[in-house]
Amino acid sequence: MNKEISDKALQEKIDNLPREITPERDLWAGIEKATQSKKQQAANDSKFFTPTTWAASIIAAVLVTWIGFSSQQIGGESPQLVQQKVKNIDQDDMATKQEIEIVGFMEESFNQQKQAMLVSFGQPDLAQLPQEMQTQLTKLASARKSIKQALINDEHNVDLLNLLDFTQQQELKLLQQLYRPQLQSI
Amino acid sequence: MDTKKIIDAQPLFAKSQKKQEQDWQELEWITQAKHGSQVAFHHLYEKYHQQIYALCWRMLADKDSAEDVCQEVFVVLWQKIDNFRGDSKFSTWLHSVATNVVLGHLRKHKTWLQKIFSIEDQSDTTKEESVPMHDDSGLDALDKQIARLPERARIVFVLFAVEGYRHEEIAKMLKMAVGSSKSQYHRAKALLKQWLVEAEQEEFCHE
Repeated sequence: MNKEISDKALQEKIDNLPREITPERDLWAGIEKATQSKKQQAANDSKFFTPTTWAASIIAAVLVTWIGFSSQQIGGESPQLVQQKVKNIDQDDMATKQEIEIVGFMEESFNQQKQAMLVSFGQPDLAQLPQEMQTQLTKLASARKSIKQALINDEHNVDLLNLLDFTQQQELKLLQQLYRPQLQSI
Repeated sequence: MDTKKIIDAQPLFAKSQKKQEQDWQELEWITQAKHGSQVAFHHLYEKYHQQIYALCWRMLADKDSAEDVCQEVFVVLWQKIDNFRGDSKFSTWLHSVATNVVLGHLRKHKTWLQKIFSIEDQSDTTKEESVPMHDDSGLDALDKQIARLPERARIVFVLFAVEGYRHEEIAKMLKMAVGSSKSQYHRAKALLKQWLVEAEQEEFCHE
């Protein structure tokens, strides 16, 4: 018996294939768990990042005002000139050198961590992030810049160093939460 | 005559009205899910999970993987539902999301040998072992045979014949030549025809 199935008969079988198949186990429980944790995480992120952003913005504003005020007190010179003067005056000061080195080291280490993180996430294009996230990143970068500026004038200020470290960590945390590989919770 | 026509049109009208109501309902669930409603998302899951599971099962030919990937599809859907702009039907969009997730899963689980020799490098006549079936109870006769197909032939067959993609689209998705997609499809068809005849004969003998 050498029976054959024609193209038409096969097509009929394809057309009659069930559109739906029921899975044996309940898949919703896992999906609900995964989506709930994502939702929770997103809620935590927004709770966490909004005050942080506010704090960073306020700190940045205060620092910019303070730097401006200090430069006026020195003689109305621009912050750049003040920095230059401070650098020249303290050139032989080992302590200052160490502080500058610490800031440089912190910045270098931060850039390395950030780069490694972005590479591990497949070099995502940050410009593709939602506007809200881009604003947060810009605010954090702006706060970092202001703190570094302030450190040039007040190199022994441990609080400023801690603040710099804090803003760097916040930026890394934000990147991690945005690009961390998903779906580990199913 | 006119009265008869009106009476005949009533079920059609009712059907179309019901369809429209369902579409509105679905649109509402989508909007609510976009705003974070898990209840609305659960309604979408209830409506579509069997379709998506069927797609996963046919492409993966493995119950456990199909279940896991089906879950992954809905988690990805939860994350990406904002991307649905309504340019196409939601079901069409969801199927394309699911297809991408399945293909991503297959890429992740390629064997080292498959990674070394890409799909393009292998000739279409390369012998690829068919998949042994573990649990095919309750499946359509054709589904049972689709699951036996070698991986590439099976994926091309499901995407072309069942999901309705064009060979050009399949070639792009699988990073293969259009000709390879066509030949894999013909290979799948030939194997299916042969196996269906064998299965029928076997059944006949048992009777």
